Amino acid sequence: MSPQVSKLILMVGLFIIAAVLVMTRKVWAGTISHGLPSTWRIAKMTVAEARRRRVLQAVVVLVVLILSSLTFFTYLSPAEQSRMIIDSGLTTIAGFGMLLAIFVAAFMIPHEIETRTIYPILAKPVRRFEFVLGKYLGALIILGVVVAIMTVVLVGVLILQDSLVQDLPDSKFDPNLFGVVFAAIMSYFSLAVLTALILLISSVASTTMTVIGAVLLWGVGSMQTMLLDLSTKVTGATKLLTLAFFYVVPPLQNFDFRMDVSNYQPLSLGAAIFALERGVLYAIVALVVAAIFFDNRQV
Amino acid sequence: MRRTRFTYSLVALFALGMLLVQVPLQNAVNSRRPEVFDPNRRDPNGSLANIKGPTPVLIAALGGFRTVAADLLWLKVDQLWDGGAWYLIPSVLESVVQLDPHFLLGWQVYGWHLAYNLNAESLLEVDRRYWLDQGIQVLHRAVATNPDSSEMTFELAWTYFDRAHDMPKAAEYVYRASEMPGAKPYMVRLRYRAYEHLMDFDKLWEALSWAEGKFKEERVHQKLVKRDISWWKSHWNDPHEHRRQIVKENSARQQRTLPFALFPDDPFWNVCPLCGMPTRKGEPECSVCHNYKFAPEKVKQGDSKA
Repeated sequence: MSPQVSKLILMVGLFIIAAVLVMTRKVWAGTISHGLPSTWRIAKMTVAEARRRRVLQAVVVLVVLILSSLTFFTYLSPAEQSRMIIDSGLTTIAGFGMLLAIFVAAFMIPHEIETRTIYPILAKPVRRFEFVLGKYLGALIILGVVVAIMTVVLVGVLILQDSLVQDLPDSKFDPNLFGVVFAAIMSYFSLAVLTALILLISSVASTTMTVIGAVLLWGVGSMQTMLLDLSTKVTGATKLLTLAFFYVVPPLQNFDFRMDVSNYQPLSLGAAIFALERGVLYAIVALVVAAIFFDNRQV
Repeated sequence: MRRTRFTYSLVALFALGMLLVQVPLQNAVNSRRPEVFDPNRRDPNGSLANIKGPTPVLIAALGGFRTVAADLLWLKVDQLWDGGAWYLIPSVLESVVQLDPHFLLGWQVYGWHLAYNLNAESLLEVDRRYWLDQGIQVLHRAVATNPDSSEMTFELAWTYFDRAHDMPKAAEYVYRASEMPGAKPYMVRLRYRAYEHLMDFDKLWEALSWAEGKFKEERVHQKLVKRDISWWKSHWNDPHEHRRQIVKENSARQQRTLPFALFPDDPFWNVCPLCGMPTRKGEPECSVCHNYKFAPEKVKQGDSKA
């Protein structure tokens, strides 16, 4: 796509967003001034609920054990060991992070409806958008804490191995700590986008459907490059359709820096910033649509 | 009812605007991470649509766990190596580099295994030639996939130099490797080694002075280059040394079943065009196959007087 077309699309998109925001200013201005305290209260309540769940604690303990066991690759050369630990550690963070995001977000709204705990909340002066946003913020806090714990354990394992493994002249153990922390943070942002999408599904679907939908979305979002590859192999309308699909699917692969970190390649901060901007916009759209759907739902 | 429709329209419009803004943002990400988002930059075989491998590996790759799948297969390579299953290793390594095209060690071991181990393991000359070509092809793919890696380009240059004995190519790739960021002093020194073998003295002097100008702060490098310069200053016109180099080069070629090479106007040897083996000059026919008769040498005017 030429830069001129890209710029034109950006201008049109910004114009539409600005027009909608101006048209709906009375709605969102009131929501911001009124909604922030109640949103924060719902978020705190969500975190407190999650802390009580034994499954969450068990998963965290399991992940810590898995990360600690990464020190067992001692029969490999130092360079292979460091690559193996970084790679497996970051994948554990991404994989279990995804499972936790699904577990935390998919059960939030449907569970509240099924157990009828939502009624006392909605009976209070809390708008439904604030409820969705509060749940989202709560999920982000939980995932943030869990990802932080996992990252700290991984960094600890790498530091420990670095001090234990003896470097060889042509094979050195490089813990690449900056890269590991960077990739873990980007994984967290990927989970934030996924969580927003899960909330969108859960605002209209049952728990089972939400879990299935979340796994599918995660799979599709991790295959962005495959769509790009396919678009180079087809022509005409199919190419346009594939490209459109590439721009519409959840941009989860934008946040995946695991390959760059484990291969010690330079990390593009610019790419991370643009990925973050895209992720934020994607999450906003998902949350707005989720709030509208939830607003119209008979609860 | 009207209000709900209006709200839906606004939401749809808002979502459309947001999605439109995402197109240039995604393009910005694509241009900053060409190794992930540029299909032309990746090894064409590394595209998810083309990956060949066991089903569980493919499933892992589709789920965004390409590197871990590559790691698990790498452990399998280790196991096959220990078990001596050398001819099974290339197919597993192929999957490794397809899953993680930036895994330099994977590419290096893949190319080395084909060009060295399987080449040496083969009994037939045609097989040895085949494995050497395969190894070089793999390293070319590795360089195309990792164009910024001096290590990978040097690996190709070294295989040309040490295994294929293709000195012009070795000189070309070692020059590229030594000009890249992160180049090591030994990469710079290999360039003039290639010209030493080629007996190309014009380029040898040029490469020696170029190597001397590089890594000025590296004491060992400077010492080695200066030693080589002074050695070649005293030996450049030494026919015995030239012959020693030719024999060394041809021994390596014979081992790898490559055609013999002589430097232009070699005063000592002829190469038989039928069997490709060298014969001492002055012999009437090929001393190996006896099927080719060499033309008698024209005696120069000056020589006849002597």
